[in-house]
Amino acid sequence: MSTIVEKLRQYSKPGYYDKFDYHWTMTIDLDRCTGCEACVVACQAENNLPIVGEERFAENREIKWIRIERYWEGEYPDIKMGFIPMLCQQCDDAPCETACPVYATYHNQDGLNTQIYNRCIGTRTCAVYCPYEVRYFNWFTYTWDEPLEQQLNPDVTVREKGVMEKCTFCIQRIRIAKDNAKDDNRRRVRDGEVVPACVQSCPTEALVFGNSNDPEAKVSKMMKSPRGYKVLEELHTTPSIVYLTKVQS
Amino acid sequence: MAAIAGPAINKMSKISRRDLLQFIGAGGVGVAGGILYGEGVQRNVEFLIPQVVPPEDYSPGVATWYNTVCNQCSAGCGISVRIREGKAKKIEGNPVHPVSQGRLCARGQAGLNVLYNPDRIRTPLQNAAQRGSGNYAEISWDEALTTLGSRIGRLKIEGKAGRVRLLTGRTRGHLDELFAQFMGLLGSEHYQQYDFTYPAAIRAANRISFGVDQLPYYDIKHADFLLSFGADYLGTWLSPVHHSLAYGHLRQGRQGRRGKTVQIEPRMSLSGAAADEWIAARPGTEGLLALGIAHALVNAGNYLGSDRDEWSIALEAYSPSTVSAETDVSEESIVRLATEFSAPGTSLAIAGGATAAGTNAVASVVAVNALNYLAGNLGQRGGVIFNSDPAFSATAGSRQAGLRGMLDLVEAMEAGDVEVLLVHDTNPVYALPENVRFRRAMENVPLIVALSSFHDETTAMADFILPTNTYLESWGDDVPDPGVGFPVASISQPVVAKLYDTLAVGDIILLLARRIGGELPIRLHWATMEEFIKERWREEYELRSAAGEDQDFEAFWRASLEAGVWGQPGAATGDESVPSSSSMIASITDPVSKFAGSESDYPFVLHPYLTATFTDGRGANLPWLQELPDPMTSVVYGSWAELNPVTADELGIREGDILEVESPAGSIRVPALIFPAIRPGVIAIPIGQGHSAYGRYASDRGVNPIHIVATQVDDQSGDLAWAATRVRIKRTGERLRIIKTDGVTRTLGRQILGPKNDHA
Repeated sequence: MSTIVEKLRQYSKPGYYDKFDYHWTMTIDLDRCTGCEACVVACQAENNLPIVGEERFAENREIKWIRIERYWEGEYPDIKMGFIPMLCQQCDDAPCETACPVYATYHNQDGLNTQIYNRCIGTRTCAVYCPYEVRYFNWFTYTWDEPLEQQLNPDVTVREKGVMEKCTFCIQRIRIAKDNAKDDNRRRVRDGEVVPACVQSCPTEALVFGNSNDPEAKVSKMMKSPRGYKVLEELHTTPSIVYLTKVQS
Repeated sequence: MAAIAGPAINKMSKISRRDLLQFIGAGGVGVAGGILYGEGVQRNVEFLIPQVVPPEDYSPGVATWYNTVCNQCSAGCGISVRIREGKAKKIEGNPVHPVSQGRLCARGQAGLNVLYNPDRIRTPLQNAAQRGSGNYAEISWDEALTTLGSRIGRLKIEGKAGRVRLLTGRTRGHLDELFAQFMGLLGSEHYQQYDFTYPAAIRAANRISFGVDQLPYYDIKHADFLLSFGADYLGTWLSPVHHSLAYGHLRQGRQGRRGKTVQIEPRMSLSGAAADEWIAARPGTEGLLALGIAHALVNAGNYLGSDRDEWSIALEAYSPSTVSAETDVSEESIVRLATEFSAPGTSLAIAGGATAAGTNAVASVVAVNALNYLAGNLGQRGGVIFNSDPAFSATAGSRQAGLRGMLDLVEAMEAGDVEVLLVHDTNPVYALPENVRFRRAMENVPLIVALSSFHDETTAMADFILPTNTYLESWGDDVPDPGVGFPVASISQPVVAKLYDTLAVGDIILLLARRIGGELPIRLHWATMEEFIKERWREEYELRSAAGEDQDFEAFWRASLEAGVWGQPGAATGDESVPSSSSMIASITDPVSKFAGSESDYPFVLHPYLTATFTDGRGANLPWLQELPDPMTSVVYGSWAELNPVTADELGIREGDILEVESPAGSIRVPALIFPAIRPGVIAIPIGQGHSAYGRYASDRGVNPIHIVATQVDDQSGDLAWAATRVRIKRTGERLRIIKTDGVTRTLGRQILGPKNDHA
């Protein structure tokens, strides 16, 4: 009994995964981000996000695992626009995980907040608990106008009605990289070997992805920037995404 | 000469083209004979036993990457397409291509929606009823080509080949050469191109300023101070992906040195949002502002050239105080910009967008060029670097008709001088003001043939529709324009077997030549576009191999195909430019755009703007782009008119009120959107929606502001001055809910964008 309690205590502590090989982390440099939305389409293509149609969009039922949020500051003529890409923050103390009645969402040993579609019963509690509003519910089973379905990525499941979904940090790409590392008899994947679709596409190289357990990884170095911060840090969700603020001149 | 080769190559499987073709022939995707002969024989048996004998290249579960060229805009980015089980799954940038460097924009990635678009034309069609009714009957390639071949052949025999006209979009590379040869051999000199986004004013201004007919390489990457006059270089201007890469570097790529950007435009674009300073000068006076900055720069003694006195005299009338009154930019700002522009470090001024689309477009761009000249930015790292002559296709730009050329074409059509009109990859019915009456003029043409993949507005007028392969199914080549400072050429190859009974446009021309007969099939003897391109590349290779080349052509060809691009990164840039300060000085006239419509009758300036998703409307049929929230407003699926909040308040206009926007040339009805970053007195409407045809995702959605633009020509470039129209607005009393994703657009004290700081 005591070992279970010990384990629980240990695992409920932020950073418990340090002894694992990976902690996948992303940094997003808002000084580079231009809000062009290349990442949004890249994600749509990679992860088989549905085309929901105008009517569903009007009902706020769009599904975009990554989106660009916009915030105005000031008034004309001294007005500025701030863009911020918003995606699942892969929180270490994720509010969504504690909420799920069927453990469809849980934390894996890579520090990822994962969603098991087959387990999900669609209570949508996790979406309510998520302060970043990055969980998306399939209100319908979406179809693709033939032959658009030929584009669907065979490495990623197509979800159906009643299932919650969200950013996975392109876990299929992580899997492939791990497999390749294993085939090469390497214990860990190399820095830069895993590149999620959004990071791959970013034309300004604002997004950096990697294993923050590796102090030599680019992402670990970026995280140390004095411009770094986490969104809604005050809620103690301990996000895995570090943003670097735009430099104000 | 060596292909740019790098880590990307091992991404691709080492297979030969022959293997790919075998795969295309036997791979169960069908349409085997079509590639070579155009007869499009479908062997149904292939559908029945697709995988009993899998082709060499086919291993289930293993992805292969093919490199080709993006055709979604004219930047010419290299792309890598991920293929699995014979289907295209994802498009990414080609890491070894110097334009895209592995990156790609939203539109480039939506290329899959072009390939797999449900609204593609799948067989040759012949008009079966009233023209424009959309009532077509399917015919065979043989029938279509024979009919067309004999009609065009008869005109040629009768010596009336000049009555055949070819109109394309922005065709480059050897396809352009094939078109030119075809028309030349036919005996018609009427091969023209029309592309709404073509930077005609920039080209014309650079001819005047620098004596070069190439777009230069604007080295944003190494600039310390970037001054953009209306050029949305991060969204739509020239080569957005490449500029975005450069922008990232300008901001954070250099330790301890962060470049500054300033954007001058009446409505905040993506580039304006990224800028440190956004200045909404009075529309149409941007060129004047550039002259004011030039005046301040020279006056402050920051220009030390021998022609200093001439410049002083030429700029005398443009003192900051005079310019300030006209442009509504403070005198202090003008002087400060001049100081920053001539400060130590590299500076760069660029012009585009509305600045390059007034009636004074060329004069404005010349004024901006003058700034670069005076600050010593020409030929400098971080400045304007001149491109050498491209490897080939140097003439393509000169075929751009502009508005003047299109008006001539309309006149010829109305006069009955056009017997056959061949149209490919351009949609003038959509992308010209309604007053040009292109559609009506087309009714006078006895035979219109569209070589097209989609039923757009222009294709809808065709008597014959010859369905084309998309760029992901075609052979081709391309020279990026603007270049990247050294010679580059890319190869475009089919990455999947074609889906339908379609043909690559080059192959259609070759087949048509055969049906027309005479010397055409003898001179255009290639069986396919692939053969033609390979032969041309061989000639190019042999020309250059004198410079010490150790691999044979086949090896070179294979390496180029694998890499998707060939280039000479070390090659010196062709510095044939002769900056001519006298002709620049002579062009400093008429620095303010003249708007159609009087200010009293039409109190607002219409600011149509290109979006990164739809550009000139071509992207509107792609569902991913329709569902992509507009970067600045988050609106999806529709059009809107942007107004300053104060203006809207005064007029009692709320979001969603349908306005009638009326110009001297026509009117459209569009819902209002309150947009905080637009100059009062300006109405901005995005270009791209408002299609009456173009498939299920595009048609009957929103409005097309180009249609109400007054037909004014910029004299020096001959192009449409699309940013020089005034409008008035009226509330119709009707309302419409604008669909957008934005909720609260203020941070309300939450530190979502992070704490304020000034770390460089």
